[in-house]
Amino acid sequence: MNCPTKRNENAEILLDYCAQTLSPEMTAEFEIHLEQCADCARLAAAQKEVFGALEAWTPVPVSPNFDARLYARIAKEQAAPAWQLWLSRIFHPPVPYPLWKSAIPLVAACAVLAAGLAVRMPDAATVAQPQLHAEKVDIEQVEQTLEDFDILTPAVQTPTGSM
Amino acid sequence: MEAVAALDRDAELMLRVRAGDDTSFALLLERHRGPVVHFLYRMVQNPSVSEELAQEVFLRVYRSRATYEPTAKFTTWLFRIATHLALNWVRDGKKEKGQESLDEQVLDGVDRQVPDRQPTIEQAMLFEVKMTEVRQAIEALPAKQRAAVLMHKYEELEYAQIARALSCSESAVKSLLFRAYESLRSRLAHMSG
Repeated sequence: MNCPTKRNENAEILLDYCAQTLSPEMTAEFEIHLEQCADCARLAAAQKEVFGALEAWTPVPVSPNFDARLYARIAKEQAAPAWQLWLSRIFHPPVPYPLWKSAIPLVAACAVLAAGLAVRMPDAATVAQPQLHAEKVDIEQVEQTLEDFDILTPAVQTPTGSM
Repeated sequence: MEAVAALDRDAELMLRVRAGDDTSFALLLERHRGPVVHFLYRMVQNPSVSEELAQEVFLRVYRSRATYEPTAKFTTWLFRIATHLALNWVRDGKKEKGQESLDEQVLDGVDRQVPDRQPTIEQAMLFEVKMTEVRQAIEALPAKQRAAVLMHKYEELEYAQIARALSCSESAVKSLLFRAYESLRSRLAHMSG
């Protein structure tokens, strides 16, 4: 048997032995180990003392009218409007929801909002389309403009040449 | 993993509660009232608060009867609720160790009756000598270690059940318990003999 005080993976054997919850086979095996291992024997003795001390802590008795008070609360809750019960279930669940689960409605709402915006927004390609058309239409104008420049060029150079 | 096939008696009762049988709820209350109150008392160390929290536990059980599914042992679910409430109470720092008030009137209109706790001389001595130290040693533990020790020692829950109640892995529970008992051994070692 691996020593519980030296190897962490079976550390619970010592607790289970002291709590008397080990199987009879494991108990016998561990008792053989205890005879050979002073560390485990010392720990087991100390753990039994702790269990003994804890067992002495007797609980307080429950109030005699515990049930009556509970049933009164249940009756009061059942008499409340349905929306209050609904809110109670949301804000006071029996066990807490994991954080990632509570984020699901938020993520879903964001996805719906994003989808709605995408449908309403104009497509970028359709916005760029008029510019493409404008370039095609202007080719003749560009040619005309270049010809005009050719016509104008000698007029500009004439004064320089005369100097 | 706790199999649904091996449905425990409590889960069967809870399924009957889900079907509208309030007598089964009374049986569940009868079976678990004591363990839940005692666990909470040892967690918060205040009788009034422990009973109020226990009431909230059973109220939540009743409230969620319609959606109950026996995916785990009933006690695992029950102690998960109790642990959650106790850890919240500890976390929120509601640690005013209030004295019990005989004229305390709770919201539901039913007076809280203080049980007869007349101790014998022996019990009083035991409480004087041992209990204060035990209570202080338990109280000194971090809240999660405390819950793990109380479920392990007093409620005899399995490691897997404690793990589910504390929402952590089984190995984490073993580690919590080992550290907790290590602290208790060092604090309570002198009480032997």
